[in-house]
This record gives sequence, C-alpha cells and structure tokens, in this order.
Amino acid sequence: MIEGQHDIALPVRYSGLDDILRRVPVSVVWEITLACDLACTHCGSRAGRRRRDELSTEEALDLVDQIAELGARSVGLIGGEAYLRKDWLQIIAAIRARGMECDLQTGGRNLSDARVAQAAAAGLNAVGISIDGIGATHDRLRGVIGSFEMALTAMANVRRHGLEVGVNTQINAHTLPELRTLMDIIIDAGCHNWQLAITTAMGNAADHPDMLLQPWQMLDVMPLLAELAVEGRERGLFIQPASNIGYFGPHESALRNVMNDEIHFHGCNAGDTVMGIEADGTIKSCPGLPSPYAGGNIRARRLRDIWENAEPIAFNRRRTVDDLWGYCRGCYYAETCLAGCTWTAHALMGRAGNNPMCHHRALDFAARGLRERLVKVKDADGRSFDHGEFAIVVEAAMPAVLADA
Amino acid sequence: MPEPGRIPVPLRLCRGCRRFVRIEHADCDFCGGDLAALEAAHAESAAAVRAATAELRTAMGRLLGLP
Ligand code: SF4
Ligand code: SF4
Ligand SMILES: [Zn+2]
Repeated sequence: MIEGQHDIALPVRYSGLDDILRRVPVSVVWEITLACDLACTHCGSRAGRRRRDELSTEEALDLVDQIAELGARSVGLIGGEAYLRKDWLQIIAAIRARGMECDLQTGGRNLSDARVAQAAAAGLNAVGISIDGIGATHDRLRGVIGSFEMALTAMANVRRHGLEVGVNTQINAHTLPELRTLMDIIIDAGCHNWQLAITTAMGNAADHPDMLLQPWQMLDVMPLLAELAVEGRERGLFIQPASNIGYFGPHESALRNVMNDEIHFHGCNAGDTVMGIEADGTIKSCPGLPSPYAGGNIRARRLRDIWENAEPIAFNRRRTVDDLWGYCRGCYYAETCLAGCTWTAHALMGRAGNNPMCHHRALDFAARGLRERLVKVKDADGRSFDHGEFAIVVEAAMPAVLADA
Repeated sequence: MPEPGRIPVPLRLCRGCRRFVRIEHADCDFCGGDLAALEAAHAESAAAVRAATAELRTAMGRLLGLP
C-alpha cells in the first residue's frame, strides 16, 4: 500500500505516519468465504467451494466489533465471492454501523441489479470489479465464458445505484498487451478508479508459470503504466498501482503521484497498517501472504491480542537490510524498499527479502546487457495460498539475437 | 500502546532525471545534477506555470463576462 500525506480527498484506506506510529490497521481485507462462482486461473486462494470451518454469523459480527475497536477505517470484503455468503448484507451493515467504510471486491458474475440494491441499502460504499483483459482473454483467465460481459453488466448495476465503482486488473503475460485498450473501455464505462496488480505466483497462478511476467518485462510495464496514469488523470481515471508494482526508476513519481509527485514506495505495510483475514478467522498481516505469516485465529485469541502480540505479524517492523538477500541486499534503495512486496517475493523465491519483479533492478541489469529470468524449480502443493519456487537465471539481455550473431 | 510500525525511510525526487535519491546527498546519484539547484529551478517554473494559469483564467473569465 502507498502512504500518502493525509488529505481530505484521499480514500480513507490511505495511511499516514500517525497510523504507522500507532499501528492502526487502517485497511482490513477480509475473505468472508471461499465459495466462488468463477474459476480463475490465477486465484491465489484456489477458491471454489466454501471452507468447512468458515466463521458463523455470530462470530463474523463479533469480529466486526473487534476490528472497529482497533481503529480500522476501511474493510474490504473479498472471497471467493463475498455475495455467496448468506449473511453478507448483515456483515456490511454491521461494518457501516461501526463507522467504517465497506467495499466489495468481486468478479461480478452474479452481481445482479437486485443484489447491488440490497448491498447499497445495507450501506456498501464501493465496489471493485475484476476485469482481466478484454473479452476472450478475461473469459479464459476467469474460467467462465461470458464473464467479461457479466463484469461490465455488474459495473453498470453498481453505477445505477450510485455506488462508487472501480476496476481491478491483474497484469500478466496475457493482459499486458491489452491494458491500453482496456483503459478506454473502463473510462467509457464511467469508472474513475483502476487498481492494477502484478499476478503473484500463488495458488492457481503458481501452476501457470507461462502466465507470470518475467523480471525484464518491468522495463515495459513501468513506462506503460506511468503513461496510462498521466493520461488517465487527464481523462478522469485515477490509476492506483498495487504495492507489488515498482520500484523507483524514472517512472515511480508519475505512477504514484497522488496530488504530490514526491510520493514514492515506502516498503511493505503488512502488519503495520494492513490486516488480512481468512474465512476461518485466521489473521494475517496481509491477505495474500501464505500460512507461515498467520498470526493466530480469532476463535482462540482476541483480535487485539493477535494484532499487537503475534510474532508472525511483526516481521515487517522487525525487518532490516540485514534480512535481505540476493540483489536486494546491496541495492541502492534497500533501506527504503526492503525488497518490495513481501507476498510477491515470498511466492516466487520461497522466502521474502529478494524481489526480482522490480524496475530499478531490471534497469540495472539492462545497463550491463543482462536480464534476469525466472525458472520454476518447485511445484505448489495444491492448497489455498500455497506457492512453488523459482530460481533466477541471469542471462544476456537478448539471448536469441546474441546466439545468432 | 502497541509497538509502533516501521518508520519509512524517505527519499528525495531529483527534478533532473525523476529518480528518487537519498535525502542526505547533495548531488543526484543517477544524473549527477545538483539537487538543490534543480529543485529551485523547478519551483520557479512551477510558480511561473501557476501565474500563467491564473492569468489565463482571469482573461477567460473576462471574455465570458464572469465575476
Ligand atoms: S532491487 Fe529490491 S530493494 Fe532494490 S528497489 Fe528493487 S525490490 Fe527494492
Ligand atoms: S505483502 Fe505486498 S500487498 Fe501485502 S502489504 Fe506488503 S507490499 Fe502490500
Ligand atoms: Zn537525477
């Protein structure tokens, strides 16, 4: 997540220095069920069927109170598909009643007009709809023919009921060539927020290495996103890069400029101002992180106790440059960046602290005529939030051309 | 009181090459530019752009008969 200076126009999930000092979980992302009506080839949680041990309504409502007590400002409901939980409207209403904003992140396959109307009546503030590429690309990635059109219909339903609507897009080998055209579609659909994230090698995505970006592709991704961000702002679309996109290089400022071009990536916020909750009540410092990062379960401990005292949640505030390894250890930006997104680095390399998905790093290799390539060396074992492992091969920047020469 | 989170280590934007650089350095580690001089030049041109925009707005307002 990005830290912005506090400004009345910024979304409430943006955190400031005061939040970090008091360690307020400003933004809580809660997977309320693993039940899903899509079958995404990149799904990190391998969602589909609900977990056997998902929280009961009573437990979920009690958890809302505990989240509010910690000072959270925004709760994002994810899944699976959050609307497939029978009590999803009750959960939304409870979150709003405790003074927090509530948004829904959805694939939108069955987000009918009636469902949106009910959610709006319950107090839902905003909806983020996943759109990964155009038409057939989206349908293939999301595993359901027609799901692209369904997502656009869902977007129209959300707008009709006056809720804020945003789009979330995965950047991977399939979607990268379509981003520019997708931006036009999103703007034409009346959307003002576009959140982009690089597909992380977790869950189903770990089984499809051909879909993942290679490190050198950051040389294309960053200039393109910076260009889209500038153009988007002029056309009323606010691009929000996820914290696994970066880092530094000449486009950092253009990409992260939120009313201040001096804003830059400050390192991972997991466990400082970000909290993730799994459907069975497991508490993590970021929703995507694998099980070694689980701090405990609210069925066994109070949320405050886990948040303040569980060691697996404290990794971020304990991390120093000495914990980094590989290229990141000696990097110019190491002290600020600390190897970028923990989730992305861990899912690729099997442990955090060395993140090849980085623009500055790709530029440095390119300046020496080199590039890094990821080769899968270990499969994921097939559970939610699992990952395989990749090795880094350093090679000439254009091996085919050099081989021909 | 919970233990505080990690305090971010800020960087400074070089107005010459748009890279972020360590705040304690006087010259940009990437383009070699004098960071303070580049910042001053940037502030000056930003002020000029602001003044020109304000003038344009006033002129447009006069043309359109706005108060
Ligand atoms: S190489 Fe590593 S530490 Fe350096 S900017 Fe990239 S991710 Fe951050
Ligand atoms: S692990 Fe990545 S996505 Fe999660 S808080 Fe850290 S930087 Fe953000
Ligand atoms: Zn410079």
